[in-house]
Amino acid sequence: MKSVKLAILGAALLGGISSYAQTADEVVDKHIEAIGGKENWRKVKSVVSEGLISFQGIDINVVVTAVHNTGSRQDLTIMGQSNYVIMTPTEGWMYMPVQGKTTVEPMTEEQVKKGADELDTQGALVDYKAKGHAVEYLGKEDVEGTECHKVKMVLKGGKETTYFIDPASYLLLKSTSKQSINGQEFEMTTSYSNYQKLPEGISIPMTVNIPLGGPGMNADMVLSKVEINKTVSPEVFKPAK
Amino acid sequence: MKSFQLRPVVILVAGILAGITAVAQTTVSSATFGTMEARWLGPGTMSGRITSIEGVNADGKTLYVGTAGGGIWKSTNAGASFKPIFDKFCQSIGAIAIDQQNPRTVFAGTGESNMRNSVSIGNGLYRSTDAGDNWTRVGLDSTEHIAKIVIDPKNSKNIYVAAPGPLWGESKHRGLYKSVDGGKTWDKILFISEKAGCADVSVDPNNPDIVYATTWEFRRLPYLFNSGGPGSGIFKSLDGGKTWKELTNGLPSKPFGRTALALAPSAPNNLIAIVEAAETKLYISADGGENWKQQSATMNVVSRPFYFSTLVVDPKEAKRVYRPAYSFSYSDDGGYSFADASNEGGWVHSDHHALWINPANTNQMYLGTDGGMYVSLDRGATFIFLSNLPVGQFYHVAVDNQQPYRIYGGLQDNGSWVAPSAKPGGVGNGDWQAIYGGDGFWTVPDPADPNIAYAEAQGGTMGRVNLKTFKSVNIKPQAGANEAKLRWNWNTPIHVGAANPGNLYTGAQYLFRSTDKGTNWTRISPDLTTNDKKKQEQENSGGLSADNTSAENHTTIFTIAESPLDEKLIWVGTDDGNLQYTTDGGETWTNVAAYIALSGVPPQTWVSSVEPSRFDRNTVYASFDNHMYGDHKTYVAKSTDMGKTWTMFNSSEFTGFAHKVKEDLVNRELLFLGTEMGLFASVNGGREWFRMKNNIPDYSLVRDIVIHPETHDLVIGTHGRGVIVVDDISPMRALTPDILNKEVHIFDSKPIAINTGKYGSGGFPATGGWVTNNAAGIPPIQYYLKDRVMSGDVKLEIYDAAGTLVQSIPGTKRKGINKVAWNLRMTPNKAVAGGVKMDYGAYTAPLVLPGTYTMKLKVGNKEYTDRLVLVHDSSNHSFTMADREAQHKAAMELYGMQQELNGLISAVNDEQKLLRDNEPRLKSGKVKKQLKAYESELEKLRAGLLATKQKSIFADEEQLRERLGEIYMAICTQEAGPSNLQLERIGVVKQQVRDAQATHAAIGKQYADKVRAAMVKEGVKVEAKKGKE
Repeated sequence: MKSVKLAILGAALLGGISSYAQTADEVVDKHIEAIGGKENWRKVKSVVSEGLISFQGIDINVVVTAVHNTGSRQDLTIMGQSNYVIMTPTEGWMYMPVQGKTTVEPMTEEQVKKGADELDTQGALVDYKAKGHAVEYLGKEDVEGTECHKVKMVLKGGKETTYFIDPASYLLLKSTSKQSINGQEFEMTTSYSNYQKLPEGISIPMTVNIPLGGPGMNADMVLSKVEINKTVSPEVFKPAK
Repeated sequence: MKSFQLRPVVILVAGILAGITAVAQTTVSSATFGTMEARWLGPGTMSGRITSIEGVNADGKTLYVGTAGGGIWKSTNAGASFKPIFDKFCQSIGAIAIDQQNPRTVFAGTGESNMRNSVSIGNGLYRSTDAGDNWTRVGLDSTEHIAKIVIDPKNSKNIYVAAPGPLWGESKHRGLYKSVDGGKTWDKILFISEKAGCADVSVDPNNPDIVYATTWEFRRLPYLFNSGGPGSGIFKSLDGGKTWKELTNGLPSKPFGRTALALAPSAPNNLIAIVEAAETKLYISADGGENWKQQSATMNVVSRPFYFSTLVVDPKEAKRVYRPAYSFSYSDDGGYSFADASNEGGWVHSDHHALWINPANTNQMYLGTDGGMYVSLDRGATFIFLSNLPVGQFYHVAVDNQQPYRIYGGLQDNGSWVAPSAKPGGVGNGDWQAIYGGDGFWTVPDPADPNIAYAEAQGGTMGRVNLKTFKSVNIKPQAGANEAKLRWNWNTPIHVGAANPGNLYTGAQYLFRSTDKGTNWTRISPDLTTNDKKKQEQENSGGLSADNTSAENHTTIFTIAESPLDEKLIWVGTDDGNLQYTTDGGETWTNVAAYIALSGVPPQTWVSSVEPSRFDRNTVYASFDNHMYGDHKTYVAKSTDMGKTWTMFNSSEFTGFAHKVKEDLVNRELLFLGTEMGLFASVNGGREWFRMKNNIPDYSLVRDIVIHPETHDLVIGTHGRGVIVVDDISPMRALTPDILNKEVHIFDSKPIAINTGKYGSGGFPATGGWVTNNAAGIPPIQYYLKDRVMSGDVKLEIYDAAGTLVQSIPGTKRKGINKVAWNLRMTPNKAVAGGVKMDYGAYTAPLVLPGTYTMKLKVGNKEYTDRLVLVHDSSNHSFTMADREAQHKAAMELYGMQQELNGLISAVNDEQKLLRDNEPRLKSGKVKKQLKAYESELEKLRAGLLATKQKSIFADEEQLRERLGEIYMAICTQEAGPSNLQLERIGVVKQQVRDAQATHAAIGKQYADKVRAAMVKEGVKVEAKKGKE
């Protein structure tokens, strides 16, 4: 343990001096390799995942349907009530009766514009340069006791996400994102765990943790089913009349 | 102060732990305890010293705020909210600059330059290229203080940094620095001497080769301050800093002290300067500094130049001049006459250090003071306080034994305050009560009387404060007939006895004790200091401007501690290097300074804290602070032989000079250390240390540490981030090497009293100011993971005595301590789909009953079991065990009823789905008609079971589910037995459920078999009826 600690310390010190031994591309490549490789990810045209967010015995059913560069839809069933958010490259809608909004409300133009980057089912890091995104290696930073590689990505649309990648497995442990929409700044932290390999050869985190701002207060979204390249009707990305 | 009563238990536990920790391993780090996230209590009420404010010109709403000891806070909404963005770095900020051509590039110079006695130090210049998300140190590491950063407005690669340099010693690292490559490399372009640094710099925006700089000779000693000397002057360069000439024409004769200089951005040949000299005056120049003219100047304009160095000319109007100083002054005639800001918008805290004016709207400006930040929308005439910056500079904190306990503390320029540690809805600004004025330091509750606290202002002014009336009685001891003048430290100690809480102590050069709450005092020592006369000439302090405010008082007592084991054993540390003890209540004294020196602590070093052990009377810990002689080393030591020999604690983790060493109340191996740059802990008696970063800024200025004897909270007084609390440090005590080496360990929990949480909600969310959430209202279940769980999930399952699963809760997976919150309830029934309203009844479930429960912690595919005891909450006298049983019975009845109703709704949903899905396939018109009639009857029933029509949240529809939900929620969420009408209501709702079930059965009887049979006949495959009723 001591030698590991010293190695980490050494690495951190070296990292702090001038140039980083690791480049952003090396870390990104290793990460993509760890989650199934570029080739497999490039084949992902649609993702339909189902899961549950559990909090103090209360479950929220979540279904996320995404078709590459075409549309994404999240259906949330909360206390027996249906809610959804739809985003396409040109339009978006929210139906969130849980927030007292009992009619379908359109997204603002800026939300749609910024949301367009999120319609990438193949992962923003795969072929990021061709997609117009930029990445930067920022050294290492502790994530709950693991000195992670810290890689910042700026999406074409301006959203900034910092990825914290486990140096042993090259899996993503945490991300923090920041985006300015409609004159407001939004920040979000998400943790990822329980990676599982799908028949398509890609690995995805089956558990996503969202901190709820309090000691021991966490909500986990646990995926129960993930379907890749399932045919999705275009109707899915239209709001109910 | 109950700790002494715990002694037998403490000793037993400590003994056991000591045996175990002897083989402690190296796997403990800050991350081990990372889940024990500290809460920032602030408050924002009085906030703290703001040293630098810069805004993005292009938007007028992105602000960077530098503070004296709380890092940098950023707002993207003109001050409506702030976030700290510099928490991994040095917290003392001297200057900030934004590259207005590319506002994502921001520079931060660490080390404030308001050179008061308590000023902190920096460790260099930092740059962010992503608007403050990430920072890199780019040099000037040894400058210690940075006063100003200016970026050439026409070429962002040219950057000037004014570094006054070290305060407490001579240094070659002071001067004006310039980078021509955007901050990669730096050259010192103006250097006067090792005594005089650069205090100010301005660049002509029209011709950036014209640069003005002021130099300043200054020096502090622990007992004297000097501002002024031959090294001070005003300089001008015409070639971007390559060559300089000194400006003198029309200026007073030298020596100068500190000069504040500003140019008018709209007419840069117009300069204005406040020159500290034999007579400090304001001067203006209209020709780029070649000639100067003296102006009349008000007291505020020329006051305390070493501390008030801000002078700003309006970005658009050359004649509009602002002088934030002791108060806020502004001029409309280029500095000839000044008016003062009004207090109409509320009192503006004195002592101003920063001002940013939005160049696009010069009515809007932000002011930084010793008491936080203000915004003006009328060019500085009135100000609105921004109460959302929790950057108070506490010198000391204390706690009492109230429930919830109260926190006491005194702050730099902000007096003494008290607040509850918890409050329904969280502790907000309004919960803090000011109890004493001046600068605040020790603020100590009387252990015997909850209505009394002792508080003080600078230089030993102290009072006994009645916490009900807030009237105070002056209790400062006076010199006796044959005694020398009493010498009181700026930060004079007040101490309540740890063994005998009836003893109240304070110290000048002598130690005084009172046994009647400070009414009468007995001197119980001779002069315990070195009484070095040359350190007692404070009337000469200040330099060119006299400044004798008790800040330089020296050869005084600085720290006092009565042993928790023996009231006659008292330790006293002085600011000039003495550490003395008495074992006979003050009859005789022994000075151990010479022994300390043998361990490597330089002579004269301040004894910043002394901590006699509560486990062994011969053991004592002490921290030492030598920064006032230019030595920033972390000195902390332990003696086990009453001070004869000392062992220094060393760690590569240590940064900053030491303020406070604290021994845990239960585990003698657990130690804490607060320094000017961080909070550190050791779980093995000081052999190894780690920096605590669990939501504590890495380089926090930690001035004081207390541990609450009942709640086990670690309460930290920081000099820049207010009060910080780490709730319940029990896991730090319990994490023995044995446990550390286990894969998984569930920590023993004390029996948990069943309630809905410690605090109510208060009803409304807090708005504005700074509000801190309370500690968890129900103690969380804590477990240790040796390694982070990378595959599989972590789940905590709770089973009752009968082995029935009560609730399954997702757990965190981090390496080290983890926490899971169980709300002590059963699993709520799952809501059934189909309504237009949420089923609010699905939010809750009955509280479980007292008893022994089994916890199964599932980590991946492994399972770990422990038990958990829940007890009736006997502290709530209006909720008896009989009430609880009646409540549980009623809640369970409704819980069952809710299941039945959900089953009924589900069955109807299923039937309707079957009919709707298959209706198009039917050919027979008769069957179709039958099906529609059946479906319509079901819909009629369904519409009475749950809300189906509500279109707006303001048109509340109430059906059976809502009626059931209301009574169910009421009973489940109250800490009371059910009322007569609640019980009656259960019967009413129960009957309605029965009626609905009967209606469903009748509809089924009329249609179900018939329709199904007809559908089958038409070739439609029909599944058997499902759903439970």
